[in-house]
Amino acid sequence: MDIPYTVTARPDTGLYNAKVGIWLFLASEVMLFGGLFSSYIFLRVGADYPWPVHELGVTLGFVNTLVLIFSSVTVLLAWANLKLRNIGKYKLYLFITILCAGTFMVIKSIEYNAKFHHYSVTLTDGTILTGHLPQGYNIEFGEVKELNLTIAGKTAAIDADPINHVLPWVKGDVPKFKTETGDLIVLDKAAFNELKNAAQIKAKEKAQKDGLKEVPNWTLKLVAEKPIVFSLPPSQLLSKPQAGAKLISFRDGTTAEGVMLNDKMTLEVDAIDLRATPDKEKSLAWSENYLGSAWKKFFIEKRDHSISQFNEKYSDGKGGTTRDPAKSATHQKHMFYIKLDDVNHAKLDSDSNAGHKAEVKGPSKDESQESHQHPTVILERKDIQFFSNFTPKLNSYYAIYFTLTGLHGLHVIAGALVLAYFLFCNGKMLKTDPERLANRVEVGGLFWHFVDLVWIFLFPLLYLL
Amino acid sequence: MADNHEAIYSSIKKIKLIGWLLAVFTIITVGLSYVELPSHSLNIVVGMVVATFKASLVALIFMHLNHEAKLVYKILAFTGAFALALFVLFYFSNTDPLVYKNF
Repeated sequence: MDIPYTVTARPDTGLYNAKVGIWLFLASEVMLFGGLFSSYIFLRVGADYPWPVHELGVTLGFVNTLVLIFSSVTVLLAWANLKLRNIGKYKLYLFITILCAGTFMVIKSIEYNAKFHHYSVTLTDGTILTGHLPQGYNIEFGEVKELNLTIAGKTAAIDADPINHVLPWVKGDVPKFKTETGDLIVLDKAAFNELKNAAQIKAKEKAQKDGLKEVPNWTLKLVAEKPIVFSLPPSQLLSKPQAGAKLISFRDGTTAEGVMLNDKMTLEVDAIDLRATPDKEKSLAWSENYLGSAWKKFFIEKRDHSISQFNEKYSDGKGGTTRDPAKSATHQKHMFYIKLDDVNHAKLDSDSNAGHKAEVKGPSKDESQESHQHPTVILERKDIQFFSNFTPKLNSYYAIYFTLTGLHGLHVIAGALVLAYFLFCNGKMLKTDPERLANRVEVGGLFWHFVDLVWIFLFPLLYLL
Repeated sequence: MADNHEAIYSSIKKIKLIGWLLAVFTIITVGLSYVELPSHSLNIVVGMVVATFKASLVALIFMHLNHEAKLVYKILAFTGAFALALFVLFYFSNTDPLVYKNF
C-alpha cells in the first residue's frame, strides 16, 4: 500500500504528511533540550564556584558555529536545486552538508579529547592547579607479601576478582603465590576458579554445620613467593589511600598490606586559580617544593597591576570606584587566576594609554627555556584534596557541558545519517518521483536547521558567557 | 511553499543573505562577550538577545515559519507554553523561605 500525501498536501491539514510528522517530532525535541537548558540555569545559579567564562577554546567553537551555519545554507540549496531539477548541484550541496557534519564532529572530538587529557587539582587550601600529567598518575605500593581475597557468599557487587582488578597492576614479573594447601601457583583464571570453588564448598559446609541462614564470605590468603610492587591509578582502589597508608583495598575487595612507595603526582602546571584560597599569599602553591617564591612574586605583581587598572578604569573621581571590586567576577579572575601559557612575555596592559604600560615577567628557572614550557611540580598526596580531568566529574559546568554538547553531537550524527540516506540510497526515487524526494530533503533539512538552532544557543552559553 | 522556478531563484538569494547575516551576528556575539558591561548578567542578557535574533532568522526563514500552515503553529503553541513553564521554574529557585514566609 502506498503512503498517502507524500507529495501533495492533505486537504484538512494543508501539509504533506511528513511535514506534520517532523513538526510534531521537533516540538518534542524542543522540550528535550528545553529541559536541559532549564537545568543549565539551575546549575549555574546554584554553583558554589566561579562559573567558567571563556574557559573553552573560543576559536574552535566559533569555527564550528560557522560550519553549522554554512551547512544550514547548503542543505537548503540542495533542496532548491532538486526542486529545479539541477541534479548535479543537488547532489553536490547535499554532499557538502554531510561533509560539514563530519567536520563539526571532528572538531568536537578534538575539543573533547583535550578535556580528557587536561587535569584540575584542588589542593587542601582551595588553590586549584590545572595542567597535564605527563606520566599519568599512578601510585606505587610495594613490599606486599600476601593478598587477602574475599569470596562473597552470595551474589554481591564486591566479590574477589583478582584477574581483572589486582593482577593487571603488578609491576614487573608475573608473581607466583603459595596457596593455603602449600601449592605454588601462577594465579590465572583456571587456578583462581579452582580456589574459588574450593572456598565456596568450605563456606557452604560451615553454613550447614553452624546452622547459618546465609552462606558466609570466605577469606582466602595467598602468600607471594617474592614481595610484589603494585603501580595503579588511585581510582582503581575502593577508597582514597591516606598518606603513608599501610593497607590498600582493590576494587574487588582484595586487600594487601605493604608500604606506600610513591603517591606523588607530577603535574605540568598551566594555570593557577586562587579564587577559592582564603589567604592567597600563603597558598600551598607558593611553597618552595612547588612553584616557589619567584612565582609568588609574579602573582603579587600581576594582582597589584590588575587592582590599579581596575581602580583607574572605574574611578569615580573621589578616590573610590563606581564598581564593587568584590562583585566583579572578571576582576576577581584578573587578580587571582593566572594562566601560565605565555607568561614570560605577558603584556598585562593592553590599553593604548602610553603612560601606563607595564610588562610583568614570569620567572623561569632556565633562561634558555622556551616560554611555552610549563613549570612542573611534584605534589604530595597529603596536599591534594581532589583531582579530576575536565569531565563531568570535575564540576556541574562540565557535567552540563558534556550532556548538552553530547546530545547535540548525537543529533548532528543522526541528521547526517538521514541526509546521507537520501543522497546514497534514494537514487531510484530521484528518477521516478523527484518531487517526493524533494519533500524528504525538506523534512531532513528542517531537522538539520533545528540542530543548528540549538547550537546557536549552546555556543554563547557554554563558550562565551 | 515556493513551487515556481522564479520563487525558488529568489529564495536562493534570500538563503545566502541570511547565511551571511548569521555569520556576521556570530562574530558580533563573540565580540560582545569580551566587552565588560556594568554587570555580567547584562552580558548574558545581551548575548541571549543576539542568539534569539539569530535563532528567529533560522526558524522564520530557513524553517519557513514565516508562512506555514495553521496546524504547525497550533503544535508549536503547546511547545512554547510548556517550554516557557520550564524556564519559569527557575523563579522558584531564587525564593528565600526566610524572607518570604508565606510563600
